[in-house]
Amino acid sequence: MTVNIDELKDILLKVEKPSRYTGGEYGEVKCPPSPFYFCMAFPDLYEVGMSNLGIKIVAESFIKRGYAADYCFAPYTDFGDAIKAAGVPLYSLALKKPLAEFDMIGFSLQFELCYTNLLYMLDLAGIPLRRADRAGKKYPVIAVGGPCAVNPEPLADFVDIVFIGDGESVDADVAGIYLECGGATEEFYRRAAELEGVYVPALMEVKYDKEGHICGFESNFKPRRAIVCDLDNAIFPSSQPVPNCESVFDRSIIEVMRGCYRGCRFCQAGFIYRPVRQRSVETLTRQACSLIASTGYDEVSLNSLSTGDYPHLRELLRSLKGSLPEGVTLALPSLRVDSFDSEFAQDARKISLTFAPEAGSQRLRDVINKDITEEEILSAAESAFDIGYSAVKLYFMLGLPTENDDDLKAIRRICDLIKSAYGRKKRAKSLRISVSVSTFIPKPFTPFQWEAQCTGEEVERKQNILKQTLYIKGVTLSWSDYFTSRLEAVFARGDRKLAPVLERAYRLGCRFDGWTKELKKDLWEQAFEECGVDPGIYTRERGTDEILPWDFIDIGIDKKFFARERQRAYSGVVTGSCKNACSGCGLQKKCPAARGEI
Amino acid sequence: MIAFKYTKTDGAEYLSHLDLLRHIYRTMRRADIDVAYSGGYHAHPRIFLNNPLGTGIKSVAEYGAVESTFAGDFMEAFNSRSPDGVKVTKWAYVKENPNYANCIVKCTYTAEGIQPFDIDNFLSEKSIVITDLRGREVDIRPRIYTVERRGDRLLFTLGCGENNLRPDLFCSYLEKRFGGHAEDIIKTASIMSGDEFV
Repeated sequence: MTVNIDELKDILLKVEKPSRYTGGEYGEVKCPPSPFYFCMAFPDLYEVGMSNLGIKIVAESFIKRGYAADYCFAPYTDFGDAIKAAGVPLYSLALKKPLAEFDMIGFSLQFELCYTNLLYMLDLAGIPLRRADRAGKKYPVIAVGGPCAVNPEPLADFVDIVFIGDGESVDADVAGIYLECGGATEEFYRRAAELEGVYVPALMEVKYDKEGHICGFESNFKPRRAIVCDLDNAIFPSSQPVPNCESVFDRSIIEVMRGCYRGCRFCQAGFIYRPVRQRSVETLTRQACSLIASTGYDEVSLNSLSTGDYPHLRELLRSLKGSLPEGVTLALPSLRVDSFDSEFAQDARKISLTFAPEAGSQRLRDVINKDITEEEILSAAESAFDIGYSAVKLYFMLGLPTENDDDLKAIRRICDLIKSAYGRKKRAKSLRISVSVSTFIPKPFTPFQWEAQCTGEEVERKQNILKQTLYIKGVTLSWSDYFTSRLEAVFARGDRKLAPVLERAYRLGCRFDGWTKELKKDLWEQAFEECGVDPGIYTRERGTDEILPWDFIDIGIDKKFFARERQRAYSGVVTGSCKNACSGCGLQKKCPAARGEI
Repeated sequence: MIAFKYTKTDGAEYLSHLDLLRHIYRTMRRADIDVAYSGGYHAHPRIFLNNPLGTGIKSVAEYGAVESTFAGDFMEAFNSRSPDGVKVTKWAYVKENPNYANCIVKCTYTAEGIQPFDIDNFLSEKSIVITDLRGREVDIRPRIYTVERRGDRLLFTLGCGENNLRPDLFCSYLEKRFGGHAEDIIKTASIMSGDEFV
């Protein structure tokens, strides 16, 4: 069965941006009949998902093996409610195939606030939310992957398979087993669970003690993160669908490196994507040229967690400049803008620099291991000012471990220094500084995984300090909503007991929780209350002897390393970049930098 | 300059005008059709399209022009790299910008599903007042040029540009007055004050 777009006309005409739902993108997947149908689902809007490179890599890994792969994004509430009322099931973009007819649906989990949207999409697809309610019936295998999959426990009762780590190969391996087993049989799940990068929640039991704390995991399998060692030869989609309506990153993206050398202690991505793997200048140039030719974009973005650390950056930029058609602009990291601007065209309209010192004082930057100094920011900013930049964006975090009021007030100092650097010469425009402050969220698999998240009162007090200290001309301050950060913190370090809360919240009407105007705080509070779950249990400090809900997953990094890093944080000792010396996180055997290959 | 006639069908009828412009620009980049840029700080590609079509209305008679030195088969090059619903059906080199946004004065549309009614009687009315999308009362009679029935379909020509009447608005008026439900509204012709390609 396929859904006919012409029959949805009356709905499409009433909703915002109907081209989100019609498919027909240039370069959309063309699927010949296939033994296996995979739907790459993204639990956020079309324009957000279409900008995501990861889902295109996963889809490509299926297509490369002769399977069919199509996309589906979370429809905005207007369209979602309308198709539900009309009895039209959620369908995939290119094939217009109802999601329930696929063999596997894989959801990409980019952040915790998309969890209700996963339930929302299952519901729109007419698929029972809970695994137990699907058992024994013909439904697609429900899989999840992406960064949040490193602690998938809050979703354990809803999903069949969790893909942990790099998705280039293992995701499609599972399809092969599925076909060999003739469907999602018990044998299929047992065989899949043996693969590196696969976790099958049904095959693990969590044991609790009398107080309700986790006291053990019972399973024959030890889920391990999948790591693609050879990024240079890894699958990369050389052509990609061009979104119908403007997407959040409307440009070509190449992935320069995976992983980050720096190891900032709050940053989950800095640990769960270790070790750093690079693509060669030749490969990246080829991929960029192919994307520009096949999409028609006129900008290339060099993605990685820290592109400035790519050792062959100058060579790469030269190569791109020599190979890409004239007029194609490159997006460069702000810290390096000065060193390259004379040589490379950037988008001429770009006048804003972005820095993320994360903490105001050097003391606190040492605690979080954020290796960026005032001097670096100032020297980068000053030379950028000289070539016409007139706006600076600064990102900070509030509520970091050991933070005191002086650390917060030190943010003022950075702003003042930038202002005086700008004022040293006569410039045409006035300087704009925007300071954006988010609330620290302790995440699994970081040295801060045991830390408490600040309480609401404390965050409010800290925000007030900032409002007072940063009340200066030319500086605008924005901060993140506390409740959003708290919800993210609860689910980031959550366990299986959150399943009823999540389901209840969805049933009450929560979805698009990451969108400020959609987040329904009162309904979430109601859901926690009705389920008898205190969110404070999840945001509190965890004991070092506690079994953490994600401890059963082998991410490749020693828990002892995290504990060591936490102690170094308390002593304000910086652990340098992996480029300089190996700090022995546990991945030495797989790490090129540990072997001295940089 | 190259002037061209193109379609907006197969889902492309839901593209906004700005997104359509972006698609046409990217299609030309993919097809190696060079596009001249306007001067100035915010340089933009010199592609000019006729007036925006209402969302959801298909068309086989859209017009556009592009400042380009491209010397090959424009239609073949464009269509080999364009989305399914946006296809060039006719093209020509022109001396100057035909300015389709200005010179298209009337458009012909067809629609299915409107209950048959006495067309002569309808056209003999001196004034037909409707409430437009902004809630204003407008006399649309001067903007209706022809109405004919061809089998199951109604064929009608309405004003465009300064004298614009949206076909979906016209159809919903007819639905309310005579019954039925307009399906599949398609713009079939754009009528210009001068020639198609000059």
